Parts: sequence; structure tokens; C-alpha cells
Amino acid sequence: MIGNDIVDLALAKKESNWQRNRFLDKIFTENEQLLIANAINPEIMVWNLWTRKEAAYKIYNRETGIRGYIPLQLDCWYESENLGTVSCNGFTYHTQTQISNESVYTIAVAKKQYFSHIKKIELETKITKINGVPFVKDIANLITRPVSITHHGHFWEGIMLVD
Amino acid sequence: MISKQEIIEQLKTIVKPYVQNQESFDALTEETDFINDLKINSANLVDVILDIEEKYNIIIDNESMEKMINVKSAMEIVAIKLAEK
Repeated sequence: MIGNDIVDLALAKKESNWQRNRFLDKIFTENEQLLIANAINPEIMVWNLWTRKEAAYKIYNRETGIRGYIPLQLDCWYESENLGTVSCNGFTYHTQTQISNESVYTIAVAKKQYFSHIKKIELETKITKINGVPFVKDIANLITRPVSITHHGHFWEGIMLVD
Repeated sequence: MISKQEIIEQLKTIVKPYVQNQESFDALTEETDFINDLKINSANLVDVILDIEEKYNIIIDNESMEKMINVKSAMEIVAIKLAEK
């Protein structure tokens, strides 16, 4: 299973005041808050960690069927600006994050080897939902492939897991 | 004691600035889902929770926060926290 999440930094600036009192306490663990406090650019770190949690939550939700607002249970282990894992109730997901001046984008996978089996999909791709989980149907092979889509502000990204 | 109807009206005022689906907001019921129906950005759900805390002068603990995905559970949590005061 795969998950992705993007944040449009200009829109996030308008929509969210992460410096609001108690905002960080509600969604980031103590360790994560330390990473934010010590970051050269704390705002980018907020969205870096946040997109990791969101991308990982998509997998957790799809694999377990559990829905909830659980940012504190999605615990980020920060290996580098671009790599890390997110753990949640015994599950561990691997993340890859790309940062540009305009956006922060994270892809999460249930197994590390999936990173080399991810293909971008286009906005026009026909997506089918099975029990609320999005898939692409490969008609030639009659196979369903898990997909994940994310959009925020100016940005849209879709990915699919291939063999 | 505050009535259910009052809580729902007050919650509507709280979520309004974050709503991205006006139609669903206009037709809001207890079953309305914050993310799937109102299309509230998940990062803004924190703001909804903080606004609720400030409005009612309550603390929404982590366990309660986990359930804050629709109007119904928000109403229940507010009612419980107010009763505990």
C-alpha cells in the first residue's frame, strides 16, 4: 500500500498559523517539536513532518480500516530532510520527502522496496474506489493497482504501485 | 444546561471559516463529516479543535481528539467535557 501528501506552502501560510498557541502540541510529539524548534526553517519542518504523517495515515487507514484524527500516534523518525519512517500502533511506514520553494511532498510506502515500483499518474486517470480505497484498473491484465492522490492549492500529485 | 441545538449552531459558527464545501455546510447535520463532507483541510482540523477548546473553555484530550471527525462526535465530546466542569 502507498500514500502521498502535498502542501502548497503559499496556501499553507494563508490557511494555517502553526505558531498559534498549542497548535504544535496537538499534532507533534515532543521529539518532533524539538526538530521544529531546532530547524533552520521551522515552517518547512512543520510541513515536512505533517506531510509524512498524512501520507502514512493514508496507508494506515487503508490497511486497518481505522479512521481517526491521530496525528500524535503517527510518530516520525527523521533520518534526513528527505528520508524517514512513521510508526503507528506497531506499523512502520517509510517516507521520501521532496522540498521545493513552493511545496513539500511526501510519499509513504508500507515496504521500502515499493519506492522503486511507484509510477506517477495523470489527473485524467480513471480511479475506482473499492471500500473507499482508490485503485486503478488495468483492463489488459484485469488487475487493480493501489493509487494515492493528493492536492493542495496549485498542486496535484497522483501515484500508483506497479509490479 | 446548553441544548443540543445550541451546540450544533455554535459548532457551525466555529467550523465555518475552514469549510471548503458550502453546499454540505448549508445542509449540515449530526452525520456531517468534517473532512469527507465539509472538505476541511486536515491541518485546519487542529484549528477547529483549538477553537472549540477556547469557545467552551475545555481541554480536548488526545483520546477525544481522535474521534473528532464529524459533527456528532464533536457534539458528544463538547457535552461530556462541559458536564465534567
